[in-house]
Amino acid sequence: MDEFTRRRALKAGLALGAAPLVAHPILTYGQGESPIKIGMHDPLTGTYAAEGESEVRGAKMALEEVNAKGGILGRKVELIVEDDNANAGLAAQKAHKLIEKDGCSMIMGAVSSATALSVNQVAAQKGVPYMVTGGHTDPVTGKECHWTTFRICTTTYMLAAGLVNTLASKFGKKWYFITPDYAFGHTFQAAYAKILQGMGGTVLGNSLSPLGTTDFSSYLIKAQSTNPSVLILLVDGQDLVNCMKQAVQFGLQKKIPIGGGLSELEVLRALPTDARLGWWTLEWYWSQPGVPHVKEWVEKYKKTYPDGSYPSARTWFGYAGLHALALGAAHAKSIEPAKLAHALEGMELPPEVKLQPHKVYFRKEDHQLMAGEFPGEIKHDGKYPDLFKVAEVVPGDKTALPASETGCKLDYPA
Amino acid sequence: MNASMTGSDAAVAGERSRAASPTAAPRRNLRAAGAVVFWLALVTLPLWLTHVGGYTALGTKILVYGIAALALNLLLGFTGGLSFGHAAWFGLGAYGAGMTLKYLAPSTPLAILVGTVVGGIAATVLGPLVMRRRGIYFAMITIAIGQLFYFIAVRWNNVTGGEDGLAGFERAPIHIGPWVYDVQNETKYYYLVLVCFAVAVVIMKLLLASPLGHTWVAIRENRRRLQFLGVRIDLYIWAAFAISGTLTALAGTLNAMLFNFTSPQDLHWILSGNFVIMCVLGGMRKFWGPLIGVAIFVVAQDYLSSVTDNWMTAIGMLFVLIVLLFPKGLLGMLGRRGKEAA
Repeated sequence: MDEFTRRRALKAGLALGAAPLVAHPILTYGQGESPIKIGMHDPLTGTYAAEGESEVRGAKMALEEVNAKGGILGRKVELIVEDDNANAGLAAQKAHKLIEKDGCSMIMGAVSSATALSVNQVAAQKGVPYMVTGGHTDPVTGKECHWTTFRICTTTYMLAAGLVNTLASKFGKKWYFITPDYAFGHTFQAAYAKILQGMGGTVLGNSLSPLGTTDFSSYLIKAQSTNPSVLILLVDGQDLVNCMKQAVQFGLQKKIPIGGGLSELEVLRALPTDARLGWWTLEWYWSQPGVPHVKEWVEKYKKTYPDGSYPSARTWFGYAGLHALALGAAHAKSIEPAKLAHALEGMELPPEVKLQPHKVYFRKEDHQLMAGEFPGEIKHDGKYPDLFKVAEVVPGDKTALPASETGCKLDYPA
Repeated sequence: MNASMTGSDAAVAGERSRAASPTAAPRRNLRAAGAVVFWLALVTLPLWLTHVGGYTALGTKILVYGIAALALNLLLGFTGGLSFGHAAWFGLGAYGAGMTLKYLAPSTPLAILVGTVVGGIAATVLGPLVMRRRGIYFAMITIAIGQLFYFIAVRWNNVTGGEDGLAGFERAPIHIGPWVYDVQNETKYYYLVLVCFAVAVVIMKLLLASPLGHTWVAIRENRRRLQFLGVRIDLYIWAAFAISGTLTALAGTLNAMLFNFTSPQDLHWILSGNFVIMCVLGGMRKFWGPLIGVAIFVVAQDYLSSVTDNWMTAIGMLFVLIVLLFPKGLLGMLGRRGKEAA
């Protein structure tokens, strides 16, 4: 049996007395106030686990910074992370759990577009602010937009527009496409073609390749014969690897600039060397010489996660997402959903959060963050993390569809 | 008991001896008491679920998946047809309901009706493709049918929303005369689903007690004997397939409105496989077995995935353990124990 001896009492007293010395002195949370909970859903298992992990890492970095500065409105912030397995149904279920059971007053997350859309529905129904970190599909801040939803990552349209602008001005406006023959491929190609033609360019041809194609030589020969100024490959996964390999065998990349769509540091890292090639667009890059705060932030990341990895666009999404929620609440002086949402509208991210050269802000009309695109060229024999050379950073308001054309009508309750 | 008797023969014999024995009355009372406790627990669920770490949507999901698994079990456990394509009817119900709300009219009852009918018609029309097949061929064709609908949903972007899923609809308040029942409220939606669940259970119980249900069990036990007796077993399997598919579609409509969203993942064979796993976990020879399986599966998934990234491994191990230790499923095991004791 333990007895409460004099020695133990002394020890306890000593520990109590020493505690304030050890603890962080800036932490001055409101006494007795319950913490503000932010719920995060992201794929921690399955195909997108690497991207999900990056977003969670970024959010945790922001969480630490926010709490070090006294939390949100003087209340400590807690982050509750749930795995959504990139499954839309599970993500919606987890959103219910985060809101109903854990009492989260804001939620964030998503890598797959379907999960962003399903949680978008739940958040709107519950009237809880939702910060979409990944999930590029246009409707999230377009036809399916809600007053509760804000999005950090750029839209599919912005991705395409950023790359088209850069490649067309660099190489010319006569393009050839190799497109995977399924719905998403067609949509993507149509967006590219529309933007290109809007700039006075021409589509020389478009080859549709069935999923699982191994021999791309006929498409490549056909493309070469039209003598395009740019060849765009919209194929994905193993098809892309095969297509790239054959393009290299033909020496095509030396004659024609080859381009693609969205790429990510996690994807580039996983690609075989043969397929690391061509012009792509990232949404953020760790090496931005001369841009304030970026270098310090990367150093901080490496200190926080000393496993040799570098922060990716996904890390930044998570980081900027949580900071944006905290900043919005600080501006609104409230975490009341409608006030928070109004405060976020038009809000500009400060330099230490935006980590890129141009102005970054939430567009008032559709709640889309006007973040930059980073089109550039993959370094064919680069070594991780030095895999990409950014050609230019295109500001978000140059790539985004005008707010009137997105189809978004915000549905604030009367 | 005679060791050479098959399961259902033994059950029938047991049923008869029980009816004749003097212990029949207390046993029936026990059953009635059990049923009362069970339904009371479901009716009061929104009151106590939050106190044991759950949330209303979780309870609703268990009931929705419960309808689907019980319906699958009409075919799987009672007729003996292993379907790996039931997500097709589930998803058709979901898309049917979602599209009704989105494109036709904001009416919850209409959405349930349209989704169920669409799924039911599809199952009825495609039933003849599988009704004469047995064993592995039956399973393969059902997978193929399921994937057919999956790919339609993925590719038909303009209508189904493609891989992104179908959003932009929500369940609408139900108007009954001057009365408004606002199902947008989480708890009220739970009770709507509970009513559907009860209706589905009554239908299934009545069917299983009818000559049709008895014929299903007989097909499972000895298909050839029935054929020699001149029973058109393919028609009975067709009926099982169509009814099972229709009720699964009903579950699908409720699932779409639970989250106001549906995606091709609701049509994918992985979901079909999960339904089979739920039936096996709980015990497919017992009427309530699949519901126990659903509860274990959904709660384990919900709880473990919050605790560890390796939750799928844990669920897999749980499945292996249950199959090894309780080959008749959890409820099947309990039931046999009870019988042996008596």
